[in-house]
Amino acid sequence: MLKKLLVCLIGLMFLTMAVVPVLAQNHDWVEFFWAEGCPHCAKEKVFLTELKTKYPDLVIKSYEISQNLVNALLLQQRGRDLNADVSGVPFTIIGDEYVSGFRDNETTGKQIETRYIQVMSENAQVETPQPAGQLLNVPLLGAVNLASLSLPVLTFLIALMDGFNPCAMWTLLFLISLLLGMKDRKRMWLLGTVFIATSALVYFLFLAAWLNLFIFLGMVAWVRVGIGLVASAAGGMYLRDYYRDQSGCKVVGDEKRQKIFGKLRDITAKKQLLVALGGIMLLAVAVNLVELICSAGLPAVYTQVLSLSNLPRWQYDLYLIFYVLVFMLDDLFIFFTAMLTLKAVGIQSKYAKVSRLVGGILMIMIGVLLLFKPSWLMFG
Amino acid sequence: MKVIKIGAVWCNGCLVMRPRWQAIEKELPWLKTEYYDFDQDKTAIERNKVESGTLPVFIFLDKTGQEIRRLNGEVEKDKLMAVINEHRDK
Repeated sequence: MLKKLLVCLIGLMFLTMAVVPVLAQNHDWVEFFWAEGCPHCAKEKVFLTELKTKYPDLVIKSYEISQNLVNALLLQQRGRDLNADVSGVPFTIIGDEYVSGFRDNETTGKQIETRYIQVMSENAQVETPQPAGQLLNVPLLGAVNLASLSLPVLTFLIALMDGFNPCAMWTLLFLISLLLGMKDRKRMWLLGTVFIATSALVYFLFLAAWLNLFIFLGMVAWVRVGIGLVASAAGGMYLRDYYRDQSGCKVVGDEKRQKIFGKLRDITAKKQLLVALGGIMLLAVAVNLVELICSAGLPAVYTQVLSLSNLPRWQYDLYLIFYVLVFMLDDLFIFFTAMLTLKAVGIQSKYAKVSRLVGGILMIMIGVLLLFKPSWLMFG
Repeated sequence: MKVIKIGAVWCNGCLVMRPRWQAIEKELPWLKTEYYDFDQDKTAIERNKVESGTLPVFIFLDKTGQEIRRLNGEVEKDKLMAVINEHRDK
């Protein structure tokens, strides 16, 4: 069972990484590379806006290169792919052809429009609009679009690994032990659910804060390099823990633990339900804030990768919600099993061990890519 | 022989070990076991010197109360059975 799980996870991981170069070669839309302060770029920008009005289906991907290193690296990559000189902007890619510079609407503009119409008619003649390299035939599921799969798979793997973090679990286990001693089932479910929901909300806000920071600092190269180093170090740490093969619970922070347990006892013993709920929410916030340090930089690494993907805000939020749900999977399993069977259960450390191996390799790969090939991590 | 088990309600590994020990105790009714909670049974914790380290702790004692073997963390049932069978007459 363990071996099967290991093979599945490693397979998924390599699938995630294998998809990246394919994504980088997708030129189905108009890619517009430009720089702040460049007059020809400004002219082309106006032209493209007019073209978009004329052809509502036109998708323009706009990349500013003078203040965004990732975009500049992407342009270099496109230059290598197309064997083109990318020393100047504006640089426009339509399908598998490019237009360098922009003179006016009648010359270069006409060239861009003609090429766009050509690409659209070529696409219309092709029966399957997806490039063959992005489709994977999965038994029972049929054709799966890898481009839409890679970021969710990466999100799932990092969140799962983050969720196995043992130091976030002990408060929930102690709370469950208190809840199981209650006679009021309704109260038991309510208090536990509110604790888990508040913990999830705190983690979501924490991830959103990281993401906003990276979106804001997106152009600063040293941030990306710093996170690349954090990812590589975290990966090394996970692999070290995998080889150390530790199971069980380390006895640390006795005083802090007793203090939190004392508060939990007081809160769950409160007769007024609303007071108990308020108390449990406050405690969940406090405990989760303290335990955030345990995450070994995983949220920072994940949100840095996510910020490279250039997605609409609602999609960013959906990914963060998905991350939090996967992160909470083990907590939810333990809570629901305990509430339904009225017995406290644990999750065997061998699953955490597998996650450390997969996560360690994944983190090192992300770290190396952030340092040397960030454009490969742009999934959007 | 006797086995002292030390765990805590907040420890995931202790919860994993609980059904394994229940199965062993059912299989070997002659085996004497005692459980102590790390946070509540302070005297037993001090006496068995488990103030630091990793939980759960399993201490195997002979008839005279002398420690024969000590195991920490999650231990497979087969390994526990092997230790018990090795020292069952002590």
